[in-house]
Formats: sequence, C-alpha cells, structure tokens
Amino acid sequence: MSLSPLQLCLLFSSALFCVGLIGALARSNTILVLLGVELMLNAANINFIAFWRFGPAPSPATGVMFVVFSIAVAAAEAAVGLALVIAIYRHQKNIRLQEAVRLKG
Amino acid sequence: MNPDYRQLLSALLPEASLVLGALIVLGVDLFAGRQRAFAPRVQLSSWLGLLAIAIAIYHAIGASPAAANFGGVFAFDALARAARVGVLLLAGFTLALLPGTSRLAHPAEYVAILLFATCGFTLMASAQQLLVAFLALELASLSLYVLAGFDKSRPESAEAGLKYFLFGGISAAFLLFGFSLIYGLTGSIEFTEIAQQLRVQPTTPLLVVAVVMILVGFGFKAAAAPFHLWAPDAYQGAPATSAALIASASKLAGFTLFVRLLWHGAGPAAGSVSSFTGAPGWLPVAAVIAGLSLLLGNIAALAQSNVRRLLAYSAIAHAGALLLGVIAAGSAGPAPLFYYAATYGLATIGAFGVIAMIDRISPCQRITDLAGLYRRSPLLAGCLFVYVLSLAGIPPLAGFFGKFAVFAAALKISGLGGPIGWLAVLAILLSAVALYYYLVILKQALVVPPANDAPRIAVPALAAITLVVVAALLVVLGIFPSRILTLF
Repeated sequence: MSLSPLQLCLLFSSALFCVGLIGALARSNTILVLLGVELMLNAANINFIAFWRFGPAPSPATGVMFVVFSIAVAAAEAAVGLALVIAIYRHQKNIRLQEAVRLKG
Repeated sequence: MNPDYRQLLSALLPEASLVLGALIVLGVDLFAGRQRAFAPRVQLSSWLGLLAIAIAIYHAIGASPAAANFGGVFAFDALARAARVGVLLLAGFTLALLPGTSRLAHPAEYVAILLFATCGFTLMASAQQLLVAFLALELASLSLYVLAGFDKSRPESAEAGLKYFLFGGISAAFLLFGFSLIYGLTGSIEFTEIAQQLRVQPTTPLLVVAVVMILVGFGFKAAAAPFHLWAPDAYQGAPATSAALIASASKLAGFTLFVRLLWHGAGPAAGSVSSFTGAPGWLPVAAVIAGLSLLLGNIAALAQSNVRRLLAYSAIAHAGALLLGVIAAGSAGPAPLFYYAATYGLATIGAFGVIAMIDRISPCQRITDLAGLYRRSPLLAGCLFVYVLSLAGIPPLAGFFGKFAVFAAALKISGLGGPIGWLAVLAILLSAVALYYYLVILKQALVVPPANDAPRIAVPALAAITLVVVAALLVVLGIFPSRILTLF
C-alpha cells in the first residue's frame, strides 16, 4: 500500500497530536504539560499546511494565513502559561502539579 | 472581492471602543493613578471601563443589521446584535461590582484585561469564519486565565488560574485540530461555504472525527461533563468578579458562537436525535454531553459544602440545559437558547456579586458563611433570594421562562418519540433535584441566625445599585419574556 504525501502528513500530525496529548495528561511538571499543549497545536498547524499544499485549495493562502495566526496565538498562550507557572512557583516553591491540591471537593 | 474598510470600521466600533478604553484605563492609571490612594484608583479605573462599555453598547445597538459581512467573516444579524449587547451588559454589571469588592493589587490592569476579554466576547458573538472564531475565543480565554489567577496574594487564585489554563489550552488544541480537518474536508473556513460543501458530501469518518473534536473543545470551554473538571476549582479559587465573568458573559458568547458554528457551518452533518435510530452526526454526541452534564452537575452539587463549588456544579448542570437549547436551535431558532443564557448570566453575576460583598468583611467560601445574611444585610439577602430562585427556575422569575422555552423547544422536536424528548424530561426532573441545593443556600441566608460576632455588611452604592438592577431585570424579563424571545 502506498500512501500519498497528504496521507503521510495526516498520519504524522495525528501521531504528533497523540504524543502531545499523552504528554499533557501524564506529565507532572507544569512546563512539560505546556510543551505537550504546544505539540498538539503544532499538529493542527501541520494539518493546515498539508491541506493547503496538497488539497484542491480554492482560496490561495487560507491555510498558511491560519497557521501564521495560530502560531501567534500559541506564543501568547505560552506567555500567559509561563506567567501562571511563576505565580504558582511563588507560593509552593516548585511547579509539580501533584502539589497543587488546595482546591478540591 | 474588495472589502470596504470604512464599513468594517463602523461595524467594529464596539470592539474599537473597548480596546481604546482599555488602553486609556492603563494610560490614565500610569500617569494619574500611581500617587493616589487605592480606593480612588479603583473607582477611576472602573468608571473609565464602564464608560468604554457604555460607548460600545451604544455602537452595538446602532450597528445596522444589513452591514456587509466582509466576505463571510462576520455576521451582523439579529442574533449577533442581541448577543453583543448582552455580553456587554453582563461585562458592565461585573465591572460595576468591582470598586466595592476588590482588594486586587493592580486595578487598572484588571479592568483593562476585563475589557479585552469583553472584546473577545463581542467578536465571538459575530464571528462567522473559523479563523475569526478561533482568534476571538483565544482572546477571551487568555484574558480569562489571567483574570482567574489575578489575586497574587492567595495561592488558591494562582492554582485556579493554572488549572483553568491547562484545561483551556488542551481544549484550544482540540478545537484547532478539528478546525484544520474541517478546512481540509471543505477547502474553506467560512461557515456558509462549509455548509454548502458538507451538503454535497457524504458523512465520512474524518468529518465525524472533526466535529467530535470541535465538540470536545467547546465542551471544555462551556464546562460540560465529562470535560468540567476545571470549573469547580476555577470558580472556587478565582476572585469573585472573575468567576462572575467566567460564568456569565463567557457562557453567553460561547454558546452564541457554538450555535452559529454548529448550525450555520456544520448543520448538514447534524444527524438526528428525533428518533432512537436517527442518523449519526454531532447531535447525538451533543445530546450525550448534555445528559451527562445535567446528571453530574445536579447530583454533585448536592454534596457540596462550599458555596462557590456549588455554583460551579450548578453551572455544569445549566451547561447541559444550554446544550439542549443548542440542539433545539435547529428547529426553534436561537431565541430560547439566548434567553436562557442571558438570564442565567444575570442570575450568576448576582450570586457571585453577593459573595463578593460578603468577601469584603470575611472570606465567603462555605455555605455556612452565608448564615444570617438577612440580619447582616437585608438588601443582599433580598437580592440573593431573587437570584437563587431564578437559578432554580421558580416562576415568575426569568430563570423559569428560560427553562420553559428551552425544554418546550426540545419537546417540540419529536415529542417523546426520540431521545431528545426523554432528555428534556430528565432535565425537568433534575430541576426538582436542583431546587434542594438552591434552597440549602437560601436556608442559610434567610433562616439560620448569624454568628454572634458577625458584623453587618455595608454595601457600596454602585454595587448596591447594580445588584438591585440585576434583580429587577430578572423579574421584568420573567414577566415579559416575549421581549427577548421575539427578537429573532
């Protein structure tokens, strides 16, 4: 069975999404969870580029434009996330998620 | 297609005034606020923010519904206008509660970020294209994460912000992945073109994956079970005004976008819930999420001893009912959903406003902290009475007619012949369960005597006026529900 470039790209992006999701759910270090989320966002970006490059795209640059914006959003998200990580670090002197258990019930 | 940028500017005047207002708040505080005492600083920032929101409301009402939609990017129809005015009003009420309650260290920054979030909400209300929808959603979400974690002095606030952020980030990734598949399948990111493409395509597994991923993303954002885990922690730890915004304006804007995306964009892939052997699509998935939210929210709320967590679980239950409204929007239009979301937002803002007022004197976390509210502040007790009964859905308050309109629309789809009808029956039965935990709040506030050392609560004038106006709106909208229901 031979796969077209689009199918290969989709397989790769799906694998990347799964790796990111597992990382985001299984890691206890907050920074590594952030990394997982970034991987998931980038998997979606690869999808956009692949569909734009290999699909019958009627509007010339839609996929690329979407990716440029979503990279900017991911950067903003990383900034907010790191700020919140610092806020947590100030109070509990580490960034392990297992120790962030003040709120429960 | 050559977009007319002057038309675009005039259509986006509400957003422009919000952003300008946020910059002015920051600038004024930078040059005039630093040397002042804390209380006038909060007053100044809040009044400037309220002015910006008032100007935005003026422009949002004046926006012509027939304005060009800029190549399918925006929709300025009746729903968009009503939702924009609605989220602006809800954000305005939240902001008006700020001066009396806040001990936050940076009031101007708080107001500015609240205005940015509101700008995201209004864009969500009118977005009709995946890119604008994603950007508006992220603008709103990123602002809300910051607002939830804003109280640097309390570790609970930071933890609430972080948990909200981590769940929100994962949901954003799901949403973006779903959007990318939709783009791949249809070659377009505009809702109307997506619908046209989907109408001629068969329902493929990839399409189902795409729509389910979008539903997962929205389920996280709307705090629907089983994606609700962040909500109780965020509501408990966040400053009360932030929790009010997360629970009200963000819900209204989110569900407006949700109904537009699912029905205007993915409508042909809806499937069916009117019979037990209906076609597959996103409707059955939405129905399952709605049923789980109703069950889990109402039953878990029974076990809560923390009033904020109780409101969070009630929010999860209300998200289930709102999803019923989304499902019914296909046949009954968005009016019942909009009425439900708007009146629910009003009642939640009120409830969190009362909590914020009690918080000024002593921490208000456990339900027993409300004890003797009728003696400590008759005004707050009276307002809380209206809000909680509206949340519970007691006539003649607005909450009752919201529930009535949504459940009636759901039952009209196919009577009791399909899962949707039985879901509506389940929701009606669970409303009776919900009455119990709402009455537990009222019992503490109205019947149990106060602790001996509990001081009276003085309510600042602006906050008192806001709380009374919100309560009056709930009564008036409850007596004249058709004013909203016939808007569309």
